[in-house]
Amino acid sequence: MKKIVTFTILLFSLSLVFAQSRQIKGKVTDNKTGAGLADVSVMQKGSSSGVRTDAEGNFSISVNGTGTVDLVISLVGYGSQTINIRGDRAVSASLEQQSTALDEVVVIGYGQVKKRDLTGSVVSIKGEEVKKVPAGNIMESVQGKISGVDITRTSGGAGARPMITVRGNRSINANNDPLFIVDGIQYSNYQDINVNDIESMEVLKDASSTAIYGSRGANGVIIITTKKGNSGKVKISANAYYGISQVAGYAIPMTGPQFADLKRQASRTAGLWNSTADDSKVFTTPADLAAVRNNASIYWPGNNLQNGSQQDYGIGVAGGSEKTKVYFSFDYFKEKGMLNNDYSGRYTVRLNIDQFITNTLKVGLQNQLTYYDQNLRADNILTVANKVLPYFSPYNADGTLAKFPGNGNQVNPLLQELPGAYINQNKITRILSTGYLEWKPVKEFSIRSNLGITNSNSRNGSFQSENTIVRALSSGSLSSISNNISTNILWENIITWQKQFADHSLGLTAVTSYLSDKTDNSFASGTGQLLPTQSFYALQNNPANNLISSGYVASNLISGAFRINYNYKGKYLLTVTGREDGASVLASQNHWEFFPSVAAAWRITDEEFMKDQGLFNDLKIRASYGVAGNSSVKPYQTESNLQLIPFQWNDVSALAYALQPQIGNPDLRWELTSTTDIGLDFSILSSRVTGSLDYYDSETKDLLLLRQLPPTSGVSSILQNIGRTRNTGFEISARTVNVQTSDFTWSSNITYSRNKERIIELVGNQNDIANSWFIGYPINSFYDYEKVGIWQTADSTLAKSFGYKPGDIRVTDLGGPGGKADGKLDANNDRKVLGSAVPRYTLGFSNDFRYKNFDLNIYIFARVGQMFVSTYANKFEPNAIENGAQVDYWTPENPTNAYPRPNVNISRASLPFATTLGYLDGSFVKIRNISLGYNFSKEMASRLRVGNIRWYVSAKNYFTFSKVKDYDPESAGSFERPLSKLIVTGLNIDF
Amino acid sequence: MKFNIIKWLFSLACISFIITSCKKKLEEYNPSGLTGSTLYTQAAGFETLVNSAYSYSRFWYGKEEGYTISEMGTDLWTNGTGDVFPQISTYNNLQGNNTVALNLEWNNLYAAINVCNSGIKGIEKVQDYTAAQKLLREAELRFLRAFYYWHIVETWGGVHFTTEPTEGAITTANKTSVDEIYNQIFSDLQFAVTNLPATATQYGRATVPVAKAFLARMYLTRGKNTEAISLASDVIKNYGYALQPKYGDLWNMANLKSKEVIWAVDYSTNLSFNDLTTVSYPSGHPRGSNSGHLLFLMVYDQVNTAILSRDINNGRPFNRYMPTLSFLNMFDDANDARYEGSFQTVWYANKVAPGFAIGDTAAYATKATIPAAVIASKKYTTYDLSKTYGTNGVPIQRRFYVSLKKFKDSTRATLAEAQSARDAFVMRLAEMYLIAAEAELKIGKLDSAAYYINIVRTRAALPGRAANMQITPAQVTLDFILDERAREFAGEQLRWFDLKRTNKLVDRIKALNPDAAQFVQPFHMVRPIPQSQIDAVSNKDVFKQNAGYQ
Repeated sequence: MKKIVTFTILLFSLSLVFAQSRQIKGKVTDNKTGAGLADVSVMQKGSSSGVRTDAEGNFSISVNGTGTVDLVISLVGYGSQTINIRGDRAVSASLEQQSTALDEVVVIGYGQVKKRDLTGSVVSIKGEEVKKVPAGNIMESVQGKISGVDITRTSGGAGARPMITVRGNRSINANNDPLFIVDGIQYSNYQDINVNDIESMEVLKDASSTAIYGSRGANGVIIITTKKGNSGKVKISANAYYGISQVAGYAIPMTGPQFADLKRQASRTAGLWNSTADDSKVFTTPADLAAVRNNASIYWPGNNLQNGSQQDYGIGVAGGSEKTKVYFSFDYFKEKGMLNNDYSGRYTVRLNIDQFITNTLKVGLQNQLTYYDQNLRADNILTVANKVLPYFSPYNADGTLAKFPGNGNQVNPLLQELPGAYINQNKITRILSTGYLEWKPVKEFSIRSNLGITNSNSRNGSFQSENTIVRALSSGSLSSISNNISTNILWENIITWQKQFADHSLGLTAVTSYLSDKTDNSFASGTGQLLPTQSFYALQNNPANNLISSGYVASNLISGAFRINYNYKGKYLLTVTGREDGASVLASQNHWEFFPSVAAAWRITDEEFMKDQGLFNDLKIRASYGVAGNSSVKPYQTESNLQLIPFQWNDVSALAYALQPQIGNPDLRWELTSTTDIGLDFSILSSRVTGSLDYYDSETKDLLLLRQLPPTSGVSSILQNIGRTRNTGFEISARTVNVQTSDFTWSSNITYSRNKERIIELVGNQNDIANSWFIGYPINSFYDYEKVGIWQTADSTLAKSFGYKPGDIRVTDLGGPGGKADGKLDANNDRKVLGSAVPRYTLGFSNDFRYKNFDLNIYIFARVGQMFVSTYANKFEPNAIENGAQVDYWTPENPTNAYPRPNVNISRASLPFATTLGYLDGSFVKIRNISLGYNFSKEMASRLRVGNIRWYVSAKNYFTFSKVKDYDPESAGSFERPLSKLIVTGLNIDF
Repeated sequence: MKFNIIKWLFSLACISFIITSCKKKLEEYNPSGLTGSTLYTQAAGFETLVNSAYSYSRFWYGKEEGYTISEMGTDLWTNGTGDVFPQISTYNNLQGNNTVALNLEWNNLYAAINVCNSGIKGIEKVQDYTAAQKLLREAELRFLRAFYYWHIVETWGGVHFTTEPTEGAITTANKTSVDEIYNQIFSDLQFAVTNLPATATQYGRATVPVAKAFLARMYLTRGKNTEAISLASDVIKNYGYALQPKYGDLWNMANLKSKEVIWAVDYSTNLSFNDLTTVSYPSGHPRGSNSGHLLFLMVYDQVNTAILSRDINNGRPFNRYMPTLSFLNMFDDANDARYEGSFQTVWYANKVAPGFAIGDTAAYATKATIPAAVIASKKYTTYDLSKTYGTNGVPIQRRFYVSLKKFKDSTRATLAEAQSARDAFVMRLAEMYLIAAEAELKIGKLDSAAYYINIVRTRAALPGRAANMQITPAQVTLDFILDERAREFAGEQLRWFDLKRTNKLVDRIKALNPDAAQFVQPFHMVRPIPQSQIDAVSNKDVFKQNAGYQ
């Protein structure tokens, strides 16, 4: 401190040297405390020199000129103030403290800390940011905004959830989903949460942050905190939006004439067709022939795909008094998918209450009730629409729908669109109710007990009429109903103690936790419903195939945990965490495991030697090491269970039980992930650029993997702790303020994540081909022959030596037993890892522009380096018995290298190397969001008697750039339920 | 200090709570699941194991995969347009990694063997069985183990063999000689013959004559001809079996459990008792019940849609297999009722159209050559020899042909219903006659051989043509017996085994099946081991693909 004073005095005296006209003295104070503020910069406006206040807040500055001058007084963390001065009398200024990013409170497991005191790798997102991209669920809204978190949409169906991985995949069979904590309670159904209720979202990525969650934290933890009430003025916010969704790129099947050509060429290969004179041999029925001669063509998927919509309406109210704080909200969200009758309606009600009973005792409740009314199309309607022969009309001559158009093998997919023909209705009610009691007798100490109950009640009713795709190939309609009740109870006790001893600060947290999960289910089905209108009700009216079943699944997890936080002068930070977990799903001798972690951080900017530099406002180095576990596998996998096989003697049902194909593993134990994380948090150029860099190296051993066994053992698989994987990666996230004037601001948010995932050890240290696991490659890798093209006529001799002929798929002869090409293609030597579904890197680049009352967000998201298996590219039927993709196939006149020669005598199943057709580069860049908003002026708003109105238009997912034509390759896209693009308009109003 | 005490007490309370409740809370409770150790130690539970051991036969009999492996790639059939496993039909590029039909059978046969092994090993532990009950159930399981191993050893040769139940993860497989596997088959069958009952009230259970009939087949297979003759004639004489008077009656849905049937896979008319994959039976068969009715039919519904559309009676044509010309020519259809009894050659109009009434002939397929003028003079469409097979016997087209109708089932509820309740015959009495005949031929007793063959042929004769059907001892050759078996059992999942047993597979394919003749090789006498098995074993240096396959 003394040094600072000396330094200031030195500066002050220097400025005296150049003093010319007048000296102004003054004092700068904190407007709340009244205390003098040291080290405040005081400058004359328009001049380049200035002074700083001393320890008591006093300053003296010489100013040029004799008239009125402006002094700019500023301090990091307090903002600036301009004072107009005449004469030379003493001035006094008071500055208001701004909460800076560093002082923001970040929620961590079982507690919260200021951002400056964090030792782990934690990303915090405010509710406002989450709201920017309107989406059906919160995780879709933050896609690409959190470095290290890979969020991909897998389906465009109503109510579909995206796939989330934090820092790569560790395990395939154990769950890779991160742990979701909502107001302290584990709650995996994040799609239930109303986006407008979110106060903040924190993503804990490194082992030091997640270790307090022990076994549940290995895949990262996402903590969601909902809004609380406030004392004082009641705040009301209302939100509404409506949007239209469309298919974001859909490759179309062959047209009628294209398909007719395929069929001709397929027949030609077999010697049945030489010119259109032979058409009658190919199109043998008069109807076929007539349709082909008329060039008839029907775009079948077009009959089924339509525009969908999304809409959301919600109101949130926050209010209360000194002792009581209340927040409540209501929200209705409805999504209509792009198939007829595909919809999901969600009703959410929330009530959060915090009540002080005495000054030291607080109780509260967080309640959320979500109700879904859904009808989901999970049928294979588009698959069939792509197969049905494209030159036949869906209609009979009399205008009715034909059941098998053109007497083909495919059922008319339009029959499934008739009212009541296909019903798959869900009614789901979920209640998340948390009560807590917190006793804080003194400032340093608190005890809190949380009891969270999640009760989920779901009913699925399904009816498929006799004309639907599945049932048309069977007998009569199928009705079924299933009911599921699941109860999840979490009881946790948390003790915290925090004390400052001079320069030492010590915090202790101790936790006990009991988690119980129980699910009861029942199922009934039958076929041939008496009256189709009875649908899935009155199952007793189904005369045949009545099936019933019921089941029970339960698991428990018991834990104790502690955390010690220590810091010296706020510069040297240390966190030590430990948790002991007992999981019922593991073998009894392996129930318990201890998960330790340690983390340290050094706030370099707090050091004396950093006082002089002007570049960094903040600089912190973090390092952590910890072990987290994973036991999120289904219960009962330690024992070999039996399966019931339907059986009979003399037409009387008889019980038959045999081993399930998956046998139990009595040695099942914890999957353990140890992670080292080194990170850097910085803020430079007067906080114009803030960000974090993280490097991590995590190694998972005893992977819980479902291993395929040789079928000769009589069983097919076992869940085992196999081998090790390693994920190393690098993450950058940065926020920059590029332009900041009073009228125009431009800020950017950049995230970059690079993760290298690979298996480093397997049983017997050899590749496991049956499971497609290869040392050095990601778990989800594609292993196959490498297609180089199509055998061409010029190479027919060479082709013949391999057993192929021109027009067949040509693959690389990678090697023989000796490693050299041996002129033979065999499964053992000529397959290789072609790629994997894991991207090399992902990039998010979000830009916010604000000009006067307008705001604009442009958000670009890229995912690069992953391979996927394209369902569309695989849709090639060489024998032309059904329709498929518009592909460039080989004929003697069209020596392409894309697709092989069609042949009526070869089915797709028997086409050599058919699987090599589907592997595609799935890299893409997309403009995920463009939103333009307009904030009504204060005058306008007050005239409307509201606080704030914003109107916006947002285009989501509209532009995608990739090598795959007419197809959104995000997470391989979905052929059956294509991904959507959405245009939305909405209003946010605050009262 | 005060708070430290509180904290300490609180922690203590928590810890004691944890310690007392943990142990119990961490024990799994699984009331809706069952394990072998709880179920199979009681008689009632062990019965369910025996039932399940029978259930695996449904993956082979009456299933497309089973038909493909046992009927295709022989002299009788070639691929129709809808054939999904043409590699098996023609041997063109037949490999372990491109033929999923082999995987399904391989996996389920070994699963069945594991069930039998567990039962045979574990039956001692059943407390509430009487000694007699134990012997009975063990005899059934041993019969079934022999039965399943026979399918394995004949299809793949000397591959993995064990009599031990699987405990835990086994990642290796062995190669055991064909002889060694047959030793076990014979010892299991001897045990079964000794301990099974003569009759069973539950149709489809193994009995003495079932085991004897199968043992007769095994003796014939391994060249033990006198034993084969004695067992076959024992079954013929002593257990009340009788040939159906008319060959065609065998395929009547109302007559499935006739006296000619020695053993069948009994598919229930209540389809939910059969083996279709469902939510509650995920490892079932994707098509379920008997699907033989789908496979052999030509696409009669593409002949002329104006007058003939798909209906229940004509069946749902998958167009998988068509007969070779040589096979059709094995029939003397002027005298032999089995041609008409096995094949559909005429399809009738089921829609009214100008010039056609319902019931008029709409399509006619024949192995004869019909003069073009005659064809042109008919309203209906004719597929005669010249429109079906080329001079070399290679089909000209593979969609319209004489179609095997044995398995058609007009009792299915709808025309699209893929599941048929038709029982799949595994052994019927006619086979015993032909086993005896073949064994008699082998030991040089041609007159006895002719005697047995003539019994079968007498039944097969068209009314009044019995005399024309008789053969003389001089006519009996191995090829004649194979032709006779073709006429009698075509489609009944025996052909591959017959050709293998007689070592005639390659010769007869080369002579009679021009599609496959160009590709068949001696190493095709065994099928390729599924690649998934090869990939999964950890002892790849020992457990290798069958010779000749890549």
